[in-house]
Amino acid sequence: MTNRIRELRARQDISQLELARLVGVRRETIVFLEKGRYNPSLRLAHDIAKYFRLPIEEVFLFDDGAAPKRSA
Amino acid sequence: MKRTILMFIISALVVASLVLWVLKGHVAGNTQEMIMVGTALVIVGFAVYLGLQRLRSHWRHEPAEDELSKRIMLRASSLAYYVSIYLWLFVMYISDKTTLEAHSLIGAGILGMAVVFLLCWLGEKAFGVKHD
Repeated sequence: MTNRIRELRARQDISQLELARLVGVRRETIVFLEKGRYNPSLRLAHDIAKYFRLPIEEVFLFDDGAAPKRSA
Repeated sequence: MKRTILMFIISALVVASLVLWVLKGHVAGNTQEMIMVGTALVIVGFAVYLGLQRLRSHWRHEPAEDELSKRIMLRASSLAYYVSIYLWLFVMYISDKTTLEAHSLIGAGILGMAVVFLLCWLGEKAFGVKHD
């Protein structure tokens, strides 16, 4: 999964700290998200997408080919 | 904020205990004891670092903990627990082959658990938590 947080943040000209405060997490979490080192919870993904006024799938991009196998 | 203050108080108490232990002459000054004191100081340093991080978050008006920090802590704890089982197996194995007393081995095992946790935490921070 990748995301467009850095791009959207730059477009709206807000800092990582400001975005972190707005969605109620630490700045480090935004850093990890932007570097692709953390997959957020559904709640956080929803809050970030809501802030940018976009659907979740336009902020977080899923690579369907790389979907993990799930056991029954 | 209460937890941050508690972390600093506990760290100060551990440092004070170590200083008293050294000053009262209970430390013979051999390499093994110096390693134990050094390891304990590294662990206290880690606790102080975590406390400072929480303070910085407080000053920035961020939450002291969020889903990422909690998940890192949870994953580091579970991995450290798993690795610690093997650490204690190793301690049991060497207990028959060494002249160390039981209390020294237990102390080394407990310090080892703390070091394992520190390494697991650093690993989770370095590699991220992508595959949950």
